[in-house]
Amino acid sequence: MRADHLSAAATLRVDGLRKAFGEKTVLDGLTFDVSSGEVVSLLGANGSGKSTSLRCVVGLERPDAGTIVVDGVTGKPGEAMPTVAMVFQKIHLVPRRSVLDNVCAGALGRLGLSRSWSVLAFPRELQEEAMACLDRVGLADRAREKAGRLSGGQQQRVAVARALCQRAKVLLADEPVSALDPAASEQVMNLLRSLADDDGLAVAAVLHQPDLARRFSDRILGLAGGSLVFDSPAAEVDDDTVAGLYRPALEALEAAEAARTKEFA
Amino acid sequence: MSIATRPPEQAVPPRFRPSGIAVGVAITLGLIIVHWYAAVQTNTSPKELIEGWRGLWNFLFGLDKTFPNGKTIHQDGAFPLDLRWSETIRPGLEYCLLTIWIGLLGTTLSIPAALLFAIISSRTTNRFVPLWLAGRAVMSVLRAIPETVYALMFIAAVGFGAFPGVIALAIHNVAVMGKLWSESMDEVDQGPVEALRVAGASPVQTAAHAVLPAVMPSLLGLLLYRFDTNVRSSVILGTVGAGGIGFFIKTEVDSFHFDTMMTYVCMVIVLIIVIDLFSAWLRRKVGAV
Ligand SMILES: Nc1ncnc2c1ncn2[C@@H]1O[C@H](COP(=O)(O)OP(=O)(O)O)[C@@H](O)[C@H]1O
Ligand SMILES: [Mg+2]
Repeated sequence: MRADHLSAAATLRVDGLRKAFGEKTVLDGLTFDVSSGEVVSLLGANGSGKSTSLRCVVGLERPDAGTIVVDGVTGKPGEAMPTVAMVFQKIHLVPRRSVLDNVCAGALGRLGLSRSWSVLAFPRELQEEAMACLDRVGLADRAREKAGRLSGGQQQRVAVARALCQRAKVLLADEPVSALDPAASEQVMNLLRSLADDDGLAVAAVLHQPDLARRFSDRILGLAGGSLVFDSPAAEVDDDTVAGLYRPALEALEAAEAARTKEFA
Repeated sequence: MSIATRPPEQAVPPRFRPSGIAVGVAITLGLIIVHWYAAVQTNTSPKELIEGWRGLWNFLFGLDKTFPNGKTIHQDGAFPLDLRWSETIRPGLEYCLLTIWIGLLGTTLSIPAALLFAIISSRTTNRFVPLWLAGRAVMSVLRAIPETVYALMFIAAVGFGAFPGVIALAIHNVAVMGKLWSESMDEVDQGPVEALRVAGASPVQTAAHAVLPAVMPSLLGLLLYRFDTNVRSSVILGTVGAGGIGFFIKTEVDSFHFDTMMTYVCMVIVLIIVIDLFSAWLRRKVGAV
């Protein structure tokens, strides 16, 4: 798969990403793009490299090869880009800190140490901006509460507010709703959709529910063995295509099960 | 039906293999030899213990000495205790307080340096390997020197008193608490750290906004634990001349006032128990167990 389908307007372009852990190749020339105003979902079996690809984009892993370009700026391997934010399945707020302080932390990359050595040093304008971000996710009234006291869905929205406070143009989400109940999932997915529609963010989300992916995204990317299997408009992805992604994993499971029953035969 | 599907019985592999038994016997024999040698080198034997018993009895309960001229005097033992208020107990209480102040200052003064060392010696907050290694190496060296040796050095430099005790405790505590703190930072949940790294936070910023808030209760707990330990150490430092109740225990022993000494020892017991209970209570209060 070469980059021939990449659109010129893409905000995030990932091209030829490779990553191996020891002998094991996890990303095998992964190429995709996400445009401003677009929500793209990534589907794939466990271990297909979804998390690793997002972690490479935000600099938490250093890719062995490939380029990452955001808005025309090429990222340095293994380094964070101010324009790319990420939310996680496990949310990763600091539970003992207030909701507002957690959101302010999204701005650390552009604050000098004199204005960020402690939450007490955060400038007033930053706190006002963080309040606006909290208002955007509908949680301005919870600003002074400890983050750990909020429900899972609310915490995930605080994490999104932290990403907004980073002033990111690209928002990556690694299984943002896998730990949430259906109502909270719905709320978070609606929020991601609206960030793309109304604020022009480029959103890429790893999801495990094909149904959510179809309803909330414009395009669905299918990953297997660290490279793209399909990249299609959400409406065109049917259940068979999705099931195909999980088939190799399922076959491996069945083979193992068969081997075990044979032992007892 | 369940019987029909039950898998056939299998031979159970032996719990101990012959090679394992041989290794076990060799280790046991080796340990016995090492301990026997250590006992010879240190004159540890039941005979020594029985012969020492007489001296211990005299130390505890006194001794009647008869001089060649027929006069007999009674050398006081540790019991009964010396319970004079203004000569013994009141000064003893003051010495105990001094011991607490030495432990307190020794602990508190070490906080800034311990925090610095903890941050550069934890993988979570410092990924620059040379600095990480340097931090750990310096702490190992500082920790290898016992507090008593520091105290002797500072007494040589500034003379007897509580101050050399404070400095000795502070330096040793920088290394011990720095290590304990860095280990608890190592164990912190990496999630929030990664989240802030994605937002572009520097290592110092991640330390301040992700690591420290998460580990604060355990750092406080370790601090209180070290305060407790440092008060104990300060008793020992006193016996080499670095102030507090330990200094007076040593003085009374040297002048054969075993009853006064034993009173001070009892006060130390109470002091240590009180500090221990207090520190445990405060640790529970801050939620650090
Ligand atoms: N830090 C790491 N060290 C070694 N192997 C890793 C590491 N991170 C991920 N992997 C391996 O890479 C493969 C892909 O992982 P991941 O990207 O998390 O998959 P997914 O998110 O699609 O489930 C897995 O087999 C995993 O074991
Ligand atoms: Mg994953």
